[in-house]
Amino acid sequence: MVLVESNSVTIVRVRGPLELRCLLDSTDDLVLMAISRAFQSLRSQVKSQSCVFAVCGSPVIIWPNTGVYEEITPDTPCEDVFQWIQTDEQEPGGRRSAKKKSKRAISVNVLNLSLMMEVTRPGPLSAPVLSKTVQKSNFLSATLPIDCVVRTSCNNTIREACEQLLEALTQQLFEMEKVTLQHMKGTTLLVPEPVHFLLPEPKGLVTVVFPAGVPDRELETQRRELHQQFDLPDDRPYFRRANAFHFPDEPYKDGYLRNPHAVLTHPNLDNGKVYLVQGIYSYHHYMQDRADDNGWGCAYRSLQTICSWYQQQGYVERSVPSHKEIQQALVDVGDKQASFVGSRQWIGSIEVQAVLNHLLGITSKIMFVSQGLELASKGRELANHFLTEGTPVMIGGGVLAHTILGVAWSETTGQIRYLILDPHYTGAEDLQTITDKGWCGWKGPDFWDQTAYYNLCLPQRPRFI
Amino acid sequence: MGRSYIVEDDVEEYLCKLCSTQSGTVTGLFIGQCSIQRDFIVMAARTPQKEESADDGQLVDKEWLSEHARQVSRMLPGGLSVLGVFIISDSDAKDSLTTLRQLVFAVENLISSEQLWSPADDDVTDRVTLHVNPKTRKTFDVTDPKTVAKPADWKYQSRVCSNWATVLCWLDVDLLVPIPEKITSTKTVEKCLMEGLKSWTHQIESGVFLIDGKKLPEDSELKGGQKKSTRQTYTAQLLVSPDMQKSSDVVQRCGGSLSVRGVIHSRAFLHSNKPKAKLAERLLKMDVVSTVATRVQMLLEETLTSEESSRDVKQTEQLCLPRRVFCPVKVTGPLCVCDYQFSDEGLTEITDRLKEMLDTDAAEDDLDTTQEMSAELIQSEATEEATAETVEASEPRRDIYIGVAVGIAVALLATAASALYFSDA
Repeated sequence: MVLVESNSVTIVRVRGPLELRCLLDSTDDLVLMAISRAFQSLRSQVKSQSCVFAVCGSPVIIWPNTGVYEEITPDTPCEDVFQWIQTDEQEPGGRRSAKKKSKRAISVNVLNLSLMMEVTRPGPLSAPVLSKTVQKSNFLSATLPIDCVVRTSCNNTIREACEQLLEALTQQLFEMEKVTLQHMKGTTLLVPEPVHFLLPEPKGLVTVVFPAGVPDRELETQRRELHQQFDLPDDRPYFRRANAFHFPDEPYKDGYLRNPHAVLTHPNLDNGKVYLVQGIYSYHHYMQDRADDNGWGCAYRSLQTICSWYQQQGYVERSVPSHKEIQQALVDVGDKQASFVGSRQWIGSIEVQAVLNHLLGITSKIMFVSQGLELASKGRELANHFLTEGTPVMIGGGVLAHTILGVAWSETTGQIRYLILDPHYTGAEDLQTITDKGWCGWKGPDFWDQTAYYNLCLPQRPRFI
Repeated sequence: MGRSYIVEDDVEEYLCKLCSTQSGTVTGLFIGQCSIQRDFIVMAARTPQKEESADDGQLVDKEWLSEHARQVSRMLPGGLSVLGVFIISDSDAKDSLTTLRQLVFAVENLISSEQLWSPADDDVTDRVTLHVNPKTRKTFDVTDPKTVAKPADWKYQSRVCSNWATVLCWLDVDLLVPIPEKITSTKTVEKCLMEGLKSWTHQIESGVFLIDGKKLPEDSELKGGQKKSTRQTYTAQLLVSPDMQKSSDVVQRCGGSLSVRGVIHSRAFLHSNKPKAKLAERLLKMDVVSTVATRVQMLLEETLTSEESSRDVKQTEQLCLPRRVFCPVKVTGPLCVCDYQFSDEGLTEITDRLKEMLDTDAAEDDLDTTQEMSAELIQSEATEEATAETVEASEPRRDIYIGVAVGIAVALLATAASALYFSDA
């Protein structure tokens, strides 16, 4: 039995639908008032005795406004609340030992709470009244997808987390009201939707309310304001929907591994620094998607990894292209004959550059080395690439293609290591195997064929938000 | 094999009394609770006399009896329901069999058509019928008229319900539904309200049920409560969450809105003194849903004014739902029946109805009116001055209308500084 590590972070998240219902009078001013009043009533509900947080999958129930805690005390640290959550391996008695944690350096645990309202009251109170209002008008009925998060450190108690959540709930309702009123056109109304973003420290986890259904390209003004508000550089996106924070307890539905390099121990060179890819990519390799490309598809897979980076950082909305789509793109730009589509022909860095340009609108730089041993001297350039662009690099030469995810380089000694993601892996998405066997791992300069020539495709990051 | 029935001694006395005092055919209802192993009958009530009976009292009026059963159902708190029908007549048992089968079917159909909750898999559907021949005092028991009649095991006992547990709560109702723009035959105001009630029912059914603040596993027994007293009473709490809306139509045209707001008292009785949590939850939730539906139906039966909204000026009217009043079944023991008191009614109307429907002799002092307060019309927060044009209502006995023509602003509850209140004496 392993206890939760003390350098773990607990994210407490409360979610629940709240109903917004009201009659909208015919004149515009009254409509705004009616909506504001409806939001105000929701804010009162959240601050009232009837607001309840129920810890999902457990008997723990909290009335945050009256300070009633069932099964636990208010001073229980948040991370201890996990013990009450019942999983399938339930031990009789109610409490179970904490699971063994993964080998990640900092574990992030998510405590999910459900927002509910208590409808019972201490009685007796007044019997019901039926009111009928007759007027030709409009009726608003929407369910607001309330979703608030609070990031706590190891010693925060559940009571502190609940207090912060209550503030976050009120704040979110204010923002939802603002977004609803802003995006109202006549009688069409868009439901406000909260999205969470993880910003560079110390800002941390931030929640923004966007109107549902409005695509990213129409929200640029909002993003600009947010960049200003949070003092973020205006040349890379932080608030596109693809940038939304991925909660560790929600597995990616597509099944690909994300950032397998994150569990590795990085090399420690004398006076050396580590320069890595920035952001999130998916690991694409042989035999995935039921495509048997063993022996010929390595460059295609490297290209897919690069495309996945652009999609997940929010630069493009287009999904990762298949082998056929990649081949078709090359035919479309005139680089290949029509017979190319469906074939098992290899591609190289030049083709990768062409496809990135044609399908994603991305420009890339090509770096050429005439002999593999020259790669050892490219430390500065690669380091700069990871600093300024931060994108994965495709390298092709000899008979192989690989993806470079980072370099460890010492300016003084010239020592260099390359973080390689190998597309030749044919197994399952098993992080343990992939890292243990070096399919994702740090390699030395002797990894390259010393006499072969190599082309590297360095994709550039667009400068927009 | 038929079912076993444990029947309160008082019921036997009552049946004997009916045999000796009534002439002609007498019908009536059995009231009690089903459980998986056996059923309990705690009360019996004869069908009230029709004012003018064309026949000589020999014929049984199926519709009259079903209507009586429907009204009686409304007067039963959670856990109690109409379980069967009896008939006291000279005729042969065989002749009565068909009549009884028809009666029980009719009763079941009418009562279940009003139900809003979904039936559960383990609901017992057997019903009992009893035929008593007053001369010979022979009784013939029949059960489960839905299929082949089976003999019932009928046993009289004393103090059947003295140990029954009570689960109760006060629940806040806050419904708002739109009224269609054009009132057509399919889209009436009543239909809209019942649809709104249906989705509210679903919320209640899926709500989290707590006793003493704890969510109990289904098969566990209720503990705690007031152990020291002779009665077991448990106060429940209910947590709900709205369903995520499926339709993307957030704003729709309407002709107005209907709201029901206030607090109801709900109560259910459970047959053993260590009831299971799952049963308590189901019975209390069923009572919550039926007490609200019953009151709304009672109001709708008195018909709301249904003029269409031709003017742009807003018109609001308010009706007070009746409040729930309880009456103990016996001097001792936890069981109660209930009735609904409109604002213009006094307690004598309640005792009269209890006598007529349930053949219960209750005095006004016996009635418990403390569980709910009469509905009041509260000032809203938006205190705009209204041009108070009060409307005189010419309404039947039970209705009290407050019609206010409001120039501006939403007011779900009464707003005007001067709202006059009329009723027919």
